[in-house]
Amino acid sequence: MAVQGGLLTGSLAAELEKDAASVPVMRGKASKRVNYRIAQPILLFLAAKLVAYTLLGALMGALGSVLSLTPVMRGILQLAIGIFMIGNALRMFNVHPIFRFFNFEPPARVTRWLRRTSKAQSTPLTPLLLGAMTVLIPCGVTQTMLALAIASGNPLTGAMILLAFTIGTSPVFFGLTYLATRLSSLMEKYFLRIVAVALLILGFISIDTGLVLVGSPFVFSQIPAKVSAMFNPGSVIAEPTQAGGLTRQDVAAPSSPDELTLAVTNYGYEPSKLSAPANTPITLKLVTQDTTSCAVAFTIPALNYQTLLDSSGTKVVTIPAQPAGSSLRFACSMGMFVGTITFQ
Amino acid sequence: MTKLTLSILDMHCSACAMRLEGIEDDLPGILAIRASYQRQTLVVEYDEALVTEAEIRQAVATKGYTIQPV
Repeated sequence: MAVQGGLLTGSLAAELEKDAASVPVMRGKASKRVNYRIAQPILLFLAAKLVAYTLLGALMGALGSVLSLTPVMRGILQLAIGIFMIGNALRMFNVHPIFRFFNFEPPARVTRWLRRTSKAQSTPLTPLLLGAMTVLIPCGVTQTMLALAIASGNPLTGAMILLAFTIGTSPVFFGLTYLATRLSSLMEKYFLRIVAVALLILGFISIDTGLVLVGSPFVFSQIPAKVSAMFNPGSVIAEPTQAGGLTRQDVAAPSSPDELTLAVTNYGYEPSKLSAPANTPITLKLVTQDTTSCAVAFTIPALNYQTLLDSSGTKVVTIPAQPAGSSLRFACSMGMFVGTITFQ
Repeated sequence: MTKLTLSILDMHCSACAMRLEGIEDDLPGILAIRASYQRQTLVVEYDEALVTEAEIRQAVATKGYTIQPV
């Protein structure tokens, strides 16, 4: 953002200097005209950036789908993204010089060309071109979003990730660029700290989902439940009785002990903890009913199994015999919704 | 041709490197310039007949950056 903001600010500086020279004291209409003259190129820049990044997100998603990542591969990618995010956050906090290597530097030729374009004679095309060309110099945070689009393995999801990210950052970008051109970049330091904290949180979430997808027995998100179970050994971890439009009661009772039924809802898997007999193959029925969340992208990482369920219907999965005392974790493809089958 | 390597104390990200490299547009006689955010350095190759080290140092300061004293 700082790179892109800098480019745009550079491009606007020439415009402002011209204004300052022609209007010695800016008041009233003159001031309003300058406000518009600053706002218009920023908006053009953002519009071009939005289109360019959405297309790039679709491209990254398509790349991910071509690679046809298995749940474990996606988990490893998610872990790498998490480390990248945390590394960038620590870089922003200036924890150690080594973290500067988490920010890839664009080639000198690209930065020189962009710098000179931004300083060249300004036309409405300049901010449009600069906005679109920022895909060549993605900042550390944007780089992680691009990696996330690859991990999604879907062009539409990839496009949506980058679209949402660009829309989400646009008001701040607009505000900062506007202020930077009119006042100074005083706020930037504080803003960077907020971004760093957000990135740190997102990084841990990404690592957590990565751990789920690679089938790790240790997952951050289960720490509170495990701590609670430690202090209340007799208690059962509360599970929602109703999730979305589908409830446990809506799902037909299993006809035999080696047949399990799992409701796939918009809010996750219900129940999230299942028990099954050991040493015998299990039939797992996945039931959806108007389910549109990512829970439909069902995976069992340890078995390298993944399927995309219809929004309404039943899919039967056969799980090979598992030893007593073992457990299998299932999750959505992004590792956000999880559950476990314990074999006894 | 003279080569000058400066340690810059306050580069925050690669935008700073890009800004510093903009010195080549402001001063004559800059033959090559490369700023590295990762290494916090600025390497300038210049023609001493056209520009002096002091002018380059001044240009860095004008852009708002601090050069580490030797």
